[in-house]
Amino acid sequence: MPKLNSARELEHLRERLRQQRQDITTTVMVCGGTGCQASNSRSVVDAIRAELTRQGLEQKVWLCVTGCHGFCEQGPVMVIEPGNIFYCHVSPEDAFEIVYQTVMKGELIERLLYTDPVSGKKCRTETEIPFYEAQDRQILSQNRMVDPCSIEDYIVAGGYTALTRVLNHNLTPDRIIKEIEESRLRGRGGGGFPTGRKWQECCEAPGDEKYVICNADEGDPGAYMDRCLLEGNPHLVLEGMMLGARTIGARKGYIYVRNEYPLAVKHSRTAVEQARELGLLGNNILGSSFSFDVDIARGGGAFVCGESTALMASVEGKVGEPRAKDVHTVVDGLYHKPTTLNNVETWANIPSIISNGSSWFASKGTKGSKGTKILALTGRIKNTGLVEVAMGMPIHEVVFNIGGGAVDGKLIKAVQIGGPSGGCLPVEKFNLPIDFDILAEAGSMVGSGGMVVMDEGSCMVDVAKYFLKFLQDESCGKCVPCRLGIDRMLEIITDITEGRGKLEQLDLLEELAETVSETALCGLGKTAPNPVLTTLRYFRQEYEAHINERRCPSGVCKALITYRIDPDKCTGCGVCLRGCVHGAITGEKNQQHVIDVHLCQKCGICRSECKFDAIQVVSENEVSRCSST
Amino acid sequence: MQQYVNVTIDGAKIHAIKGTSVLDTAIEYGICIPHLCHVPFLSDIGACRLCIVENVVNGRSKVTTSCTLNVEEGMVIWTNTDKIRKLRRNLAELLVAQAPNSRAIQDIAVRCGVKEVRYPFRNEDCVLCGRCVRVCEEIWQARAKGFVGRGKNRRVDYVFGVRPDFCKQCEACIQICPMTIPPCDGPIKDGEEYLCGKCEAQLMIAEEMPLGSCSWCKLGEGFGCGRYVGVLR
Repeated sequence: MPKLNSARELEHLRERLRQQRQDITTTVMVCGGTGCQASNSRSVVDAIRAELTRQGLEQKVWLCVTGCHGFCEQGPVMVIEPGNIFYCHVSPEDAFEIVYQTVMKGELIERLLYTDPVSGKKCRTETEIPFYEAQDRQILSQNRMVDPCSIEDYIVAGGYTALTRVLNHNLTPDRIIKEIEESRLRGRGGGGFPTGRKWQECCEAPGDEKYVICNADEGDPGAYMDRCLLEGNPHLVLEGMMLGARTIGARKGYIYVRNEYPLAVKHSRTAVEQARELGLLGNNILGSSFSFDVDIARGGGAFVCGESTALMASVEGKVGEPRAKDVHTVVDGLYHKPTTLNNVETWANIPSIISNGSSWFASKGTKGSKGTKILALTGRIKNTGLVEVAMGMPIHEVVFNIGGGAVDGKLIKAVQIGGPSGGCLPVEKFNLPIDFDILAEAGSMVGSGGMVVMDEGSCMVDVAKYFLKFLQDESCGKCVPCRLGIDRMLEIITDITEGRGKLEQLDLLEELAETVSETALCGLGKTAPNPVLTTLRYFRQEYEAHINERRCPSGVCKALITYRIDPDKCTGCGVCLRGCVHGAITGEKNQQHVIDVHLCQKCGICRSECKFDAIQVVSENEVSRCSST
Repeated sequence: MQQYVNVTIDGAKIHAIKGTSVLDTAIEYGICIPHLCHVPFLSDIGACRLCIVENVVNGRSKVTTSCTLNVEEGMVIWTNTDKIRKLRRNLAELLVAQAPNSRAIQDIAVRCGVKEVRYPFRNEDCVLCGRCVRVCEEIWQARAKGFVGRGKNRRVDYVFGVRPDFCKQCEACIQICPMTIPPCDGPIKDGEEYLCGKCEAQLMIAEEMPLGSCSWCKLGEGFGCGRYVGVLR
C-alpha cells in the first residue's frame, strides 16, 4: 500500500476499504487467541475456509480470525454476524454444518450452542450469555471486530481517528493532557497512578529526547489481560502510544513484551511494520511535523521486569534489576531521559478518550476510579475468562453473575485480586467494589486485574505460601528486605504448614511483613507481603488451627493430613488401587482396601478417582487419637 | 560555584551542598544514620536499606533510603523516629541472622538495637551488599566480578566462575568486604551462632547524646561508617 501523506488520505483509504466490503453479507469471527489456539482453533479456521471455498462463498462471507473473545474456557469460540450467533467448543468436523446450515440457511446448530451452567438454558446469541451480559466491554469488544494482523480491519473499524483528530486540529499537548486528566484515567498496570499527571510531569521534564514505553511484561499467575489486548488488537495499543508520544514529545517508543507470549510478539511486530508501511509510524506522520517510531523489546522472563526501572534497565541491555526511584522515571527514565511508561491496557484506553471525550470515559466508574477494567477471572468458578466491567462493580457480581458461582456446589471462601502481590478478600468483603482506593484500604489491590476465586477446598495458609514461593523465585535479590524478608516469611509459613509453628511466630510474621512492605526497594518487594498480611487479617483462625491444633481445616497441607479409606463406603472396586502411582493401596477385589500411610505421598489421585467418596482426608492428630483408643 | 539548598534533618536546619545525598549530608553534620552498602567514593544502590529515613512530602511521610535520596530545597527528613528505628532493627535482625560471623554486621545489629534474633541463624558468608562489585567496577574499572543469579540464588562471582585476566588481584574487594572482619571472640562455629551485643557500652554514650547524633562510636569503625572512611581519605 502506498504511504499516506495526510489525514485526508487516511479517510479516503477508510472509505475505499468500506466500499470494498459492502458485498459481505455474513461475517464469521473465529477466535484465534492463544487460549483458543490451544484448543485447536487454527484447524477450525482452515476447515471453514476450505468449506467456504467449496461452496463458492469467499466473496460474500468474511472469515475473520480475531483476537481473544474472553471466554477462553469454551474455546474454540466463534460468533456469526448477522444474528450474533455464538458457538463454542467448535471442532473442524463442524465446519460443513456451520457453513451449510448457519451461514447459508441461517439455522442454528443446537449442540454447538452454549449452555448456561447455572440455569441449564441454551443461549442462542452472545448477548444472551450471562457471562457477557453483565459485562461492559469497551475495549474487549473491539477485539472481535478486527483481525489483529490486518491494519485495514482496524482502519475500517474506525481506527486511527483519534490520531487524525489530534493532528488535524493540531491539539496542543496541554489540551490532550487536560483531556486525559479530566477523564481521571489511572494506570491499569497495578499502581493506579493518574495517567494525566504522569504525562504532565513527563511533558514538563527538561530534555529534547523522550521515550514512551508500553509495558507488556505480564507475569502474574493466571492473568492475561495484556496478552489478549496486544495479540488481539495491537493497533489500538499502538495508536495510544502515538498519542502519548505526540503529547510528551517523544520520537521513540518501545513495546516491552515478554518472550513467553509468542503470538503477542508476532502480532505487535506485524502491526508496527504495517503502520510503518502506511506512514503511520516514521518521519512526518500523515504529513505533520510529528515523527515517531516503535521498536519491540522482548523480555527475558523475569517477573521483576514488570517494574518500571527494571524494565528500562532491561531495554537498555542491562540486567533487569530495579533501582531506587527517588527521581521518578518521568524525569530520569530510559537512558536517563524522561520516559512515560504505561501498561498495555492504559494505552488501549487512550484512543477512545481522545475520540469520545473525557466526560464519556468519566461517566463510568466510581469517584476515584473511572472507566472499565479488564479482569482475568479464574479459579473455582463455573465461567472463567477475561471480563471487562465498569469500575465500581461489586466483587460478588463479578464472581456470581459473571463467574456463575462455585463449581461442584461448594462454598466460595475468598478471592485473590491483583496477582501475587494482591491480597485475599473473604466472602464477607464481596460487597466491596472494584475500585483502586477501596480495595487498597481493605488490604488488597486492583493490581493488574488478576482475580483468582477460591472455594472451601483451599487452605489460606497454603495460598499465602504459594504466592510467597512465587515471589521468592522472582525477587531479583538486590535489597535485603525482599531477598531475606520474603525468605524468612516463607520459612515461618512453611513451619506453620508442616506443624512446627508457634503462636508467637504470627506476630513476628506480621511485623516482618510490615517491615518488608515499608522498606523494600521496588514495587515487587513493597507489595510482596500483601498475601500474608491479608490472610492473617481475614483468616487468622486458619493459621491458629494449624498452630494450636496441628490441623489444616481445608485438608490441603500435606504434613498435617492423612488419607484413609472409609470401611463403610469402600466397595473394593479397585479403581484407587490401579490409580495409585506410589503403590500405597492394597486390598483384594470386593474387599475393603487399605492405604499404607508410609508409602502414601498424599497426591490425592485416589480421592479424585473414587466413585463412592470412600477416601477421606483426616488430620494427623485425629489418626493418632483413633489408634490410641 | 557550589550551590546550596536548605534542608531540615531531625529538626536541624542544614545548608547542604546541592547534588549530595541526604546520607552524606547527615554524616557530614554529625547525624548518625547506620548504613552498610554505602561507601563514600562508590555509587549508591540502596541494597541494605539500613539508611532508611522518613521524608515528609506535603505532610505525608515516606520511608526511603537516604543514600539514594538527593537533598532538595525545603526537604524535611527524620532519621530517628520510632517507626524508622523499628524498621531498621528488623532489617538488622535479618542481616545478623544471615551472617553472624562478621563483626561489622554484629556491630550494626548493636547499633540498630537488636536485642534478640528471632530467626534461626544461617551463617552465610555474604550479605550481597555489593561493595566488592562496585569497587572493582568503579574504582579499578576491572569488572572482574559481578552479581550472578536471581533472588535466593544471587551471589557474587567471577564471570562464568573463573577468575578473568583483568582481575589484577588488587584485593580491594577483600579490604572493603564487611565479612572480612571476624568477631572479636573469633569465628563462631556452625550451630553455635549468637548475637554478640558486647559493644553495647558504645551505645550508652550515644543514647545520652541528642538522639541519633554521631558520637564517633567504635561501632562505626567496624562497619566502615562513611564518617570514618571519609576522614581516612
